[in-house]
Amino acid sequence: MQTFPIQKIIEHGPGVKSFYFPKTFDVRAGQFVNLWLPGVDEKPFSVSAVMGDWIEISVKRYGPFTTALMECREGDYLGLRGPFGRGFTLQNNALLIGGGIGIAPLRLLAQELNVRGLRFVSLLGAATAYEIIFARDFQKQSVCYFTTDDGSMGKKGLVTDDLVDIIAKEKIEYIYAAGPEIMFVKTKELIDPLGLPYEFCMERYMKCGIGICGQCVLDDSGLRLCVEGPVLNRDDLKEVTELGLLHRDASGRRV
Amino acid sequence: MKTIHLIKPDFLNLKMDSPLVLASGILGLTASSMARVIRFGAGAVTSKSFNLEWRKGHRNPSIIPFEHGLLNAVGLSNPGVDEMVKEIRLFRQKSEAPIFASIFGRTIEEFAEVAKRAAEARPHLIEVNVSCPNVRSEFGTPFGDSPQDTAQITRLVKKAAGDIPVSVKLGPHGPGIGLMARVCEENGADAITAINTAGPGMLIDIRVRKPVLSNKTGGISGPAILPIAVKSVYEVYENVRIPIIATGGVTHWQDAVQMLLAGATLIGVGTAVYYEGMEVFGKINKGIEGYMRENGFSALKELRGLAHE
Repeated sequence: MQTFPIQKIIEHGPGVKSFYFPKTFDVRAGQFVNLWLPGVDEKPFSVSAVMGDWIEISVKRYGPFTTALMECREGDYLGLRGPFGRGFTLQNNALLIGGGIGIAPLRLLAQELNVRGLRFVSLLGAATAYEIIFARDFQKQSVCYFTTDDGSMGKKGLVTDDLVDIIAKEKIEYIYAAGPEIMFVKTKELIDPLGLPYEFCMERYMKCGIGICGQCVLDDSGLRLCVEGPVLNRDDLKEVTELGLLHRDASGRRV
Repeated sequence: MKTIHLIKPDFLNLKMDSPLVLASGILGLTASSMARVIRFGAGAVTSKSFNLEWRKGHRNPSIIPFEHGLLNAVGLSNPGVDEMVKEIRLFRQKSEAPIFASIFGRTIEEFAEVAKRAAEARPHLIEVNVSCPNVRSEFGTPFGDSPQDTAQITRLVKKAAGDIPVSVKLGPHGPGIGLMARVCEENGADAITAINTAGPGMLIDIRVRKPVLSNKTGGISGPAILPIAVKSVYEVYENVRIPIIATGGVTHWQDAVQMLLAGATLIGVGTAVYYEGMEVFGKINKGIEGYMRENGFSALKELRGLAHE
């Protein structure tokens, strides 16, 4: 385990922050790192941007770990190991669908697509305006559609509400999604009939991050989300019967 | 995975295509995970150790790599016997390969109760984990350190398991693994699994100046412990006639051959998945087969224990 000091912190709004660490390895969009907060816990997070000598990790307060992370200050040492897993492939004419803090890995994806000159459109939704992190950066790089639960930014409603119309209007050929699992279920339902290929960046409770503990293995595929994922494509997902139905907690019980 | 006739083991009359067994604690939580391991060439799988009630285990970091292996203190997290019985049954529907149910108890009596419940799922073997080094602060000294406790657990589990064979998993420490193996054999064990993780050990972060594992200490696995495991298997072989499932640090086929020469019938593979990926099972199978062809062996049992006088 290597530990690094937090270089900088940006607060997007209450309970949503981006943390900057020295970059000591290359990381691709969709891959994740394990953050260790000494005395608290260790949890997986996707990387939201790579900028020069820094990597950026964007976090929303959710449970005890992220609550403790929100209290961290610049200069505090955190453990950081990775990169783990398989990231997104890079495709042209893609739609990036982000829900809540799921927008984080899409920010790095947007960076990578942009560098390669690939066209993409962003469809980002969250509970409220400030949770659509780095909205302005997305707007600089792509046509953007926003939705919020409270109507404070973009259209009031769910990110999937106008999905099919946007796909047609923007001549979309490929879908990337990151966000809550219910969003994947809805997205899959809407795009499967269109025959579009897709990649979802998923989450499961993880322990080792290196493919041995079995904690994040998906029924019925046997795929290890930390190694064969966390980005799964349409073919991988054909074998995943637990999508939107269950996941396993720290003991391994279905919840 | 195509069947390689040469490396079919002769272990308790079980039908297996390879002497490699997925070691307990690795990828053994669910049927779909274990079935995938079989597709990569393992001859059998061992479930994650379970007891009566579900356990969350220790907080993360619970598994961390270092230069020569892994340090882990998962803390026997498991979903409990009810869930695991379901997963074992499901595995049996998915795969014809044998499945070994790894069990533990907080008390001697719990071992017997879990064995009885586990037997309902008809695993091909019950492996009795008396040697987990990572729950000392909660359970006290492992039962596997005491010949009396181990004898009693072996007897009780054997009775509770009915016609299902029982292997006792021993650690490399305690009062001598040869003696402990003999105690198990005398009390009815059908096999010995040697060894559990070694240590416990500790790693400290020099910036934070604290142990990295949330449990502070953890069992050591991987290449670092291969020599300890080979020596332990060698010693067990000198002391008992029942077959040995040799586990500990096996990463390459040469390590597996060492285990066979030391006296193993089956070989456990676990941490190697971290180093070599899921392909490790196929690679070791091929390596053993190549070694046998090159050296004129026609069955695994011809190799067994050859390192002894």
